[in-house]
Amino acid sequence: MTTTAARSRATSGPLSRLGDYRDDGPLARMVGRASGAVPIPAAALTLLSALPLIAVLAIDADDLPALGVAVAWAVIAGGLASGRPDSGRFAWAVPTLVRLVEYGTLLVFAVLAGPQAVPFCFALVAALAFHHYDVVYRLRHQGVAPPVWLARAGGGWDGRMVIGYLLLLTGAVGAGFLVAAIVLAALYVSESTVSWLRFSQPRRPAQYDDEEDEDD
Amino acid sequence: MASGSSETAAGPAAVSARSGTDRLPGAAEEESSARSLGERSHAAGPTALVLSTAPAEDGGPAAALPWEGTTVLRRLLLQLEDLEIARVRVITRPQWERLLEPSVAGLGPAVRVHASSSVSEDLRTVAEAARAGAGPVVLVHGELVTHREALAGLLVTPRIVTGILARHGGVPPYMAPRTRSTRGRVMSASSPYHATGRPNTSLLGVLRVGERDRAELIETAERLASLTEPPLPPGWEEELERKVSRWRMSLAEVAASPGGLDAEQEADPAPAQPAEVGQGPEAGDDPVPVVLSEEDEAEVALRAAILREDVVSMLLVGLVRADVHVANSFLRALFWSRPLSRAKARDTAEHFKGYDEDRVLLDSAVKGNDGFFTTFFVSPYSRYIARWAARRGLTPNQVTTVSMAIGVLAAAAFATGSRPGLVAGAVLLQVAFTTDCVYGQLARYTRTFSKLGAWLDSIFDRSKEYVVYAGLAIGASRGFGEDVWVLAVAAMTLQTARHMADFSFGTTQHEAIAAEWRPPVDQPGDGIALKRSATSVLPTSPPGVDGDGGPVAVSAPTGPSPSPLQYAEPATDVPAEPAPPFARRIVAGTARRAIAVSRALDRRGWTRWLKKILVFPIGERFAVISLAAVLTTPRTTFIIVLAWGAVAMLYTFTARSIRSLSR
Repeated sequence: MTTTAARSRATSGPLSRLGDYRDDGPLARMVGRASGAVPIPAAALTLLSALPLIAVLAIDADDLPALGVAVAWAVIAGGLASGRPDSGRFAWAVPTLVRLVEYGTLLVFAVLAGPQAVPFCFALVAALAFHHYDVVYRLRHQGVAPPVWLARAGGGWDGRMVIGYLLLLTGAVGAGFLVAAIVLAALYVSESTVSWLRFSQPRRPAQYDDEEDEDD
Repeated sequence: MASGSSETAAGPAAVSARSGTDRLPGAAEEESSARSLGERSHAAGPTALVLSTAPAEDGGPAAALPWEGTTVLRRLLLQLEDLEIARVRVITRPQWERLLEPSVAGLGPAVRVHASSSVSEDLRTVAEAARAGAGPVVLVHGELVTHREALAGLLVTPRIVTGILARHGGVPPYMAPRTRSTRGRVMSASSPYHATGRPNTSLLGVLRVGERDRAELIETAERLASLTEPPLPPGWEEELERKVSRWRMSLAEVAASPGGLDAEQEADPAPAQPAEVGQGPEAGDDPVPVVLSEEDEAEVALRAAILREDVVSMLLVGLVRADVHVANSFLRALFWSRPLSRAKARDTAEHFKGYDEDRVLLDSAVKGNDGFFTTFFVSPYSRYIARWAARRGLTPNQVTTVSMAIGVLAAAAFATGSRPGLVAGAVLLQVAFTTDCVYGQLARYTRTFSKLGAWLDSIFDRSKEYVVYAGLAIGASRGFGEDVWVLAVAAMTLQTARHMADFSFGTTQHEAIAAEWRPPVDQPGDGIALKRSATSVLPTSPPGVDGDGGPVAVSAPTGPSPSPLQYAEPATDVPAEPAPPFARRIVAGTARRAIAVSRALDRRGWTRWLKKILVFPIGERFAVISLAAVLTTPRTTFIIVLAWGAVAMLYTFTARSIRSLSR
């Protein structure tokens, strides 16, 4: 299920780790590549990306066109920070903000679609959370991030927000989220399992950084 | 793989626990990682260099001091043999070669005594040995007396590539040179000729260099070999003199005080103001004429002689200054000593007998920086379950899988939506959490660590929590007519975001630590004395981040930050940096004051625990879920979890922002 070329991507350092935590999809990467380096810290960009969404929700959440503009803005503003190292003082806050924006937006879509869609949103967010934890824990224990193709296949936070919005427009949030949850969970869990099967076989030399058990 | 043959003091329980777990038949992954290390070690041949060059009081080698019918050195060599370190070279001075022969007799052809006439030659021998073999290189003092488990914790674990045996706080520095550690990594080390600013840990005479860092070891050893050839680089003799003058002063103080303390005691002689602190100009510059008794003069001379031979500490300095990642393997409460006289060796043997090794191992299997609930309501009994599991031959992976299964049962019970179901779910959740604590304690107790196991445990921890959220939400609609799915998604989002914040913050901290500037090895100072900023390392508590408890125990990295309090130490050059703008200095100053207040709160017991509770770690979360599920409804449960989690997130975000601004 993997091509050898894309199989392992050695991380070059903590900065690229933060980049891996972000989980950018093709859209965000495209924006980041097109814009080049923007002289605004990624933390500020990510905060800015969420402001219109919050404004629309506060004023009139049912205004779908406005919501669409806000989602587009979030992808563009958040995408500007993708694909480049960030040495800002608040760089550590960025992946968290990205997660809050992504999961929060998906929840809003589900609520707008009706209460029957929310359990499916739980399933979808659970599948995504598995992947986002998996990235961290595999970097920690295997020393390698999941392959690039996986991030592309998952669509990234940007792709998922856009697709979620399209589902909202077509009235298919519930079914769409359920299918997405099943497909993504199958994809993420199987890829991770395969990576562990491969990992223990060739017995790589230990490069454990002896990080503390940070997860409580 | 029997337990330590020379470990006369180890309780029988320790022996059975250890050999029991070592012989597990089906312990697939856990075992394979420990075994593979052993196998690889055999194939590639780990090399131990036992430095038996320290003189004892009687003028002979300290390593040849008698120990229960044999010698201190032989005891150590048997321990190394037991740890499957086959290739051993005992390095000693030519006049002592014959004296040490009896200690190696009968240990096989791979254990040899090698005569070397100087420190410089010792270092060349190290470089040669590192070049000859392919496995890890272990450097250890020949007169080291410690438990086998203390050595095993450093030498036989896949967790450490390059590391030292260490302890928090101080040991008399001529026996165990001081080091400074941040987040478990050695940031600065001292040697006879090198000083460490703000030390918080000590090197206990064992250094393991993994294959990864072999090239650096060779390079460092060769560089030091040429540096230690007379004449020494500028400042080196002065640094040793500074140390000697401090001993003279403290010995004079001891002599002056009635019934003075025995300076040889294992206890930290001056924890408040460690002698090794790079005191810069004020220390060395005015030598006070101190008159010592003949006995004390001999003592000082002996200490200086021992320290001059300390090749292990010099190599550590060299590796640390070369940016090698050196980890700490802590002694915990196990026994350690470096006897340097017959009387001391006798005392040590006496002391060693009274040690309950199993008790100590079990106690130190408990994680040091756990939350309040875990520390006081779970660990006190879960460690005995861990010991029971070890004796039954259970592996950590089995235990964590059982914990996950119980977590799923808890979720299923919650999902019934009935009151008895909620009660059953609450109890099962607590059982699952206890089992999870047993996992970690069992892994530490039996030293079975594996990467897959650690990953599995982390993933299971998260899954358990979120499965329980789902169970509660299902139960709410079935039994209470409440639709709480929105709250469930919100709670999961908040918790995931909080974890991501911990991970990201930890990552940037690691990066800052790695980027810390280190002076070249020919300079005695480590540069830290030049940077008296508020971003110091906590003096006593173990460094490191406690997941949720980020702001509690994070020791801020100290980049080469320009500070108004800078002063220059003669022998060290630090890259100059431009002064920051005024406004930024004000912000940073205020932030540092806030951090100082937070540190002050850490020093008092109850405020430290209050801070730990505030960040809502896993033990507290599970306890709250259980309690609220029994007493209230799922909706109220989620609201409490969300509210507390939000407060915790706000608190950690604020604390970390302040920390970021202080730089």
